[in-house]
Amino acid sequence: MVLNAEKKETKKTIYTPDLATITQVKELTPTEKQFTIELDDVHKRKEFSFEPGQFVELTVFGLGEAPFSIPSSPNNKENFELCVRKIGNVSNALHNMEPGAKVGIRGPYGKGYFPYEKMQGKNVVIVAGGIGMAPVRSLLKVILEDRSSYNDFTLIYGCIDPNNILYKQEIEELKKSNDIDIKLTVDNPDDQWDEHVGVCTNLIPDLDYSPEDTFIVVCGPPIMYKFVILELEDKSFKPENIFLSLERRMECGVGKCNHCHIGNKLVCVDGPVFSLWEIRNLKEAI
Amino acid sequence: MLYKILDKNHHKEFLSNLVANVKMVGPKKKDDSCHDFTSIKDVDEIDTAYQKTTIPPAKKILFPSTENLVRFRLGETIESEGLLESSETVLFGINAWDIAGMNFLDRFFSTDFADENYIAKRKALTVIGIDTEPTETNFAHYMDSEYVIEGFDLYFTDLGDRFFVRIATAKGNALLDRFAHIKDIEENDLKDFNKYMNVYRKKFKLEINMKNFLDNFENIYDKKGVWEELAEKCYSCGSCNLVCPTCFCFNVKDDINLDLKTGQKMREWDSCMIPEYGLVAGEHNFRPSKENRLKQRYRCKLITYKEKYGKNSCVGCGRCIEACLAKINIAEDINAIKKEVNV
Repeated sequence: MVLNAEKKETKKTIYTPDLATITQVKELTPTEKQFTIELDDVHKRKEFSFEPGQFVELTVFGLGEAPFSIPSSPNNKENFELCVRKIGNVSNALHNMEPGAKVGIRGPYGKGYFPYEKMQGKNVVIVAGGIGMAPVRSLLKVILEDRSSYNDFTLIYGCIDPNNILYKQEIEELKKSNDIDIKLTVDNPDDQWDEHVGVCTNLIPDLDYSPEDTFIVVCGPPIMYKFVILELEDKSFKPENIFLSLERRMECGVGKCNHCHIGNKLVCVDGPVFSLWEIRNLKEAI
Repeated sequence: MLYKILDKNHHKEFLSNLVANVKMVGPKKKDDSCHDFTSIKDVDEIDTAYQKTTIPPAKKILFPSTENLVRFRLGETIESEGLLESSETVLFGINAWDIAGMNFLDRFFSTDFADENYIAKRKALTVIGIDTEPTETNFAHYMDSEYVIEGFDLYFTDLGDRFFVRIATAKGNALLDRFAHIKDIEENDLKDFNKYMNVYRKKFKLEINMKNFLDNFENIYDKKGVWEELAEKCYSCGSCNLVCPTCFCFNVKDDINLDLKTGQKMREWDSCMIPEYGLVAGEHNFRPSKENRLKQRYRCKLITYKEKYGKNSCVGCGRCIEACLAKINIAEDINAIKKEVNV
């Protein structure tokens, strides 16, 4: 019996990031950049698959780690994109990085994602506010890439002002197609603005879909949820068909650090996407 | 469970053998009010007649306040690798409620995403339990934690002239075989053990009422006034978290060494009671007020794991009551919540 052994091993654990390279950087708005990221290990790149709504933990080595949802299409197997607002330590550092720079990636994480399989044959409405566009863009891509499997498709997207609109060019292109009905709204319009003004909540009463056949997806700043939900319930949309992506502080992404807990749920593991039915009676979720 | 007897006159010999042959951590007197679990080099350093320890012994070993998780080297390419550290250790003298706390951490860290940093240390730990006298703030009896049936390798119960030894693992059995003169139990040993437990349970004087607590808690959750009153004195210092045997919240940080080439990803204990706990980039705080944070702590200790695991994460050790600078008392608050709802 050996009872004195000090042991040090190195091993890949749940906290060990995989090395990845930033291959492209694109400015989306004055405060947001899109980073295209490719895992360095070819096998891991092939294994890396995610569902819309999932997120990764990104490490800037020596500085720290932060969670980011993946806005690109899961059908793209070569790389994935992140949309990063310059707002914290890690995101500030990322904004200074250029193609070729190395980062660490853990994930994808989150058992709760946007259940696009269930939405097939139904109407889908996405309600996004501000940076909340990033997590839902993956779902938007999935639906557009298999458009005939879904019924009517609407995007309601609200921002503070026209300069903050993410994926502006893409949205302009989409508006020309018949694949999706896009309603944009801003709080502070400029002279050229010819769309809606005000919060995106205002556009919900005009939705003309049968609650039985419609899925709603909501993502935006914390304050938005309460009001959007009230409007959706007013229209009798069913709580089990409403999906929300929640934000919380996350340190680990794997259900251990506990920062993102809401009662018996962990946003990183059980979410980040929950149905309204799951969380409507979970105190403090919304 | 296997039961054996160790005569008192062989006890010291057993401990001496252990100290001579293994790395042992055990209770040592620090001052008149407190003991601490520390590395034991000499058998006479061990003092099992302790009542209070500030930092829970198992958490101290298995989930240290800071811990390296990943090391990395920066350069042309970046290397990063997960780091597991462990040391074969015998933890001697931990009591039932602290074992119950460890059992909670065991379950938490080994399920869903398995935390190998914790598990490596846990696998290297041999646990020998003993009974200690409860303090006046202890309510382990009400949290089903005054007596444990798992988590330990050996558990010694003092029956006066002999120890009643419960052997839960082959590892524990091997330690006895190698280092102790033990004998088989007789009928009266089991009777005396039961008698002892009956007397022991009566030593837990602090009474709390957990009946219908889950529903009561839901009921008063939104009563702002109740929580403002309960949390009014809170300094948001986090002492309650530091001393809790089941608090496990941590932050993950990258730390770079002075050579600016090597560094580590590490974790350090965090506290759900401090204002920054729920703060995200962009300055939104999901837990902005102290009454919200206290409510959240009670929910985590008394509701969440009742729902998830069927057992509270609070073991009733009373450390948070002793540590609180503002004299917030979880036992009193449980009773106050019960009274408030009045069912």
